[in-house]
Amino acid sequence: MIWLSTRWKIAIMVIPTLLFFTLFVVYPVGYSAYYSLTDFIGFGTPAFVGLANYATLFSDPLFWRSLLNTVVVLVISVVVIIPASFALALLMRRPFRGARMLRALVFAPGIIAPILVGLIWVFILDPKIGLVNQLLTHAGVSSPPIWIGGPTLGPVSIALVFIWSTVGFAMTIFYAGLQLLPGDVIEASSLDGATPFQQTWAITVPMMRETFAITAVLVTTNVFKIFELVYQLTGGGPIHKSETLVSYMYYVTFTSQQYGPGMAFAVIITVLGAIVSVGYLALLRERKDVVA
Amino acid sequence: MYNAAHASLWKRRLVGVSVLVTSLALLAGCSTGTGSSGSTTITLSMQQTDVKKGDPTTWAIVQAFEKKYPNIKVTVTGQPVAQHNQAIDVAAQSNTLPTMFWLFSADTGKKLNKAGALLDLNPILKDEGLTSSFNKTVLDSFSDGGKQFGVPYQALLTGFYVNKKILADNGLTQPVTFDDLVAVSKALSAKGITTIANGASQSSFSVWAFLTCLDRFGYDDVIKDILAGKASYSNPDFLKFYEALAELQKAGAFSSNVATQTYNQAVDDFANGKAAFLDSGVWASGQLQSSPVGKDTGFWVGPQFSNGVGEQKIVMNVVGAPLAVSASVKKGSPEYAAVEKFIGFYYGDAGQQIFADNGQPPVTTFAPKIASSNTVFQSVLDAAKGLAVPLAQPDQYLSTASQNVMYDSIYGVIEGQLSPQDAVDMVQKSIAANK
Repeated sequence: MIWLSTRWKIAIMVIPTLLFFTLFVVYPVGYSAYYSLTDFIGFGTPAFVGLANYATLFSDPLFWRSLLNTVVVLVISVVVIIPASFALALLMRRPFRGARMLRALVFAPGIIAPILVGLIWVFILDPKIGLVNQLLTHAGVSSPPIWIGGPTLGPVSIALVFIWSTVGFAMTIFYAGLQLLPGDVIEASSLDGATPFQQTWAITVPMMRETFAITAVLVTTNVFKIFELVYQLTGGGPIHKSETLVSYMYYVTFTSQQYGPGMAFAVIITVLGAIVSVGYLALLRERKDVVA
Repeated sequence: MYNAAHASLWKRRLVGVSVLVTSLALLAGCSTGTGSSGSTTITLSMQQTDVKKGDPTTWAIVQAFEKKYPNIKVTVTGQPVAQHNQAIDVAAQSNTLPTMFWLFSADTGKKLNKAGALLDLNPILKDEGLTSSFNKTVLDSFSDGGKQFGVPYQALLTGFYVNKKILADNGLTQPVTFDDLVAVSKALSAKGITTIANGASQSSFSVWAFLTCLDRFGYDDVIKDILAGKASYSNPDFLKFYEALAELQKAGAFSSNVATQTYNQAVDDFANGKAAFLDSGVWASGQLQSSPVGKDTGFWVGPQFSNGVGEQKIVMNVVGAPLAVSASVKKGSPEYAAVEKFIGFYYGDAGQQIFADNGQPPVTTFAPKIASSNTVFQSVLDAAKGLAVPLAQPDQYLSTASQNVMYDSIYGVIEGQLSPQDAVDMVQKSIAANK
């Protein structure tokens, strides 16, 4: 018998993943952090400028606008996706004809590339040629809303399209979690006279706490990564009023060739994403400890 | 008897050999340089995803060049402008620039030149006898520190394409002044017809005709002082330009989806008879000639302003972006010889005639023959004849960051998102921050 639980064997097995993680996660973050302190233009030798790039970003009103838009998308997405996908998972758990096909249909938007999702929805939400406004105009609405390309509804539309493309994926996670719940606990509660709502609220939801946490973190990190959707759906416009953090970072870094501020932006996004995700997990652990 | 360990060993060997063979095959297909048959391959990276459709001039030149020099293969690649710019920056950082490539602006070229990434083209121009084929100002635009880092890609002759049929069908004539344009806009807007086709999404630079309007408010006279900090972009004359834009916006001149529409969609709208004017340049003449509106399309250099500054009868007819060559192309190498021949062909009489055949004016002093069927291109040349020409397009004086802010300032007013004062202030702020 070969024992694998010795320290050096464990280390050997972990090293490949550690190398991969260092090369593709730690190194790029460190690289970005270094160049965020310089006047790098994408090539050549940069000069050290300290925190000037961060000061430039914090004094840029469009940075704050992109942060606000990201928060709007995050709040709408989390508030809608978590309960909606959980409800869908509960529904899909019931045995009915066509359940499997319905699960696949709900999941389908999740496998479409985000850039294509954006392209599809342009033809639905465009204020002039979009399907929605054409239907509204036919229905007699004289001034249909400007879903995209206007000053206010851009982030909301981005959130709705993100929800459409993500809810199926989240539903799959909840569905898998529901499948793993012990059936005898539910059965026992039925014998005790618990209603379906009471079973869901008092038994299923608490037992699915970890799944809720994982889904919330995944949705949060995916919101922070939104780029192709914004790029194709609104182009960040009008004049950057619908930019999210990553799409505006792309504009600063590659379109305006300001790599120093762009890298500073990347560092800020990394820190913000980590704070929100870790913070949420810590809060959940605190509640778990209190309950225990 | 079946031996599982033996079968496993042979399976691993088979996988390893397959990976090795595949890797070698991929590596063999991926390189520039001289092949075993003595042919040389060079790469040309452009700012169009489909170079054959989007840049027929360059495509035709490459085909003709390869026919003339069968031992030289030009691999043409292309991406949209933003991705192309990003790819060039990354390639410059990693010393993997293509052999030849389009650059967004002279400003980018100067930065790459300072970083030592570009080849000095003076020896090539001299060896090919091309130095005197250009106007001096043309070559000066793309030289820095005594080095010729770029050569002109194509001419930047911009303005408005005009659908004369739409105007005639609505009892209107082609405008001359800005007030005429406002009147036309109000008349067309009342009938639900788009006056000026523009697209801001992913193409914020597509405001060529309006950039020329800045020159009708004295831009050329003051920009050097502005850049030196002795004057401000936020001045009464430029404010008048943006106020004129706001007046056009209120007159309904622009499509309601200008913010979500791309430049290519705007071209499609015009080409399908859905807009009376298209803000574009001579590069679109070929595409429009073969469109349903080809026979009805004319060209207009843009409005004259009664409250403008300086000469109003001007046309933007300058050199645009440069083509550059990677510094990794070493003198004496087969790639250098191939590049030399390509540049010689591109700027020679044969190459410049191909320009004219595809609706582009030559960038040298060559006088081409223009086919009588090329009515759109001829209308562009006719409209530009005899008019004064600014030194450069207004954005070409600025850094890349400030260029983008300038485009945003114009589209911001067009989209009704910025007041004229906010527009001039934001450009001034960017110029001051990006000296």
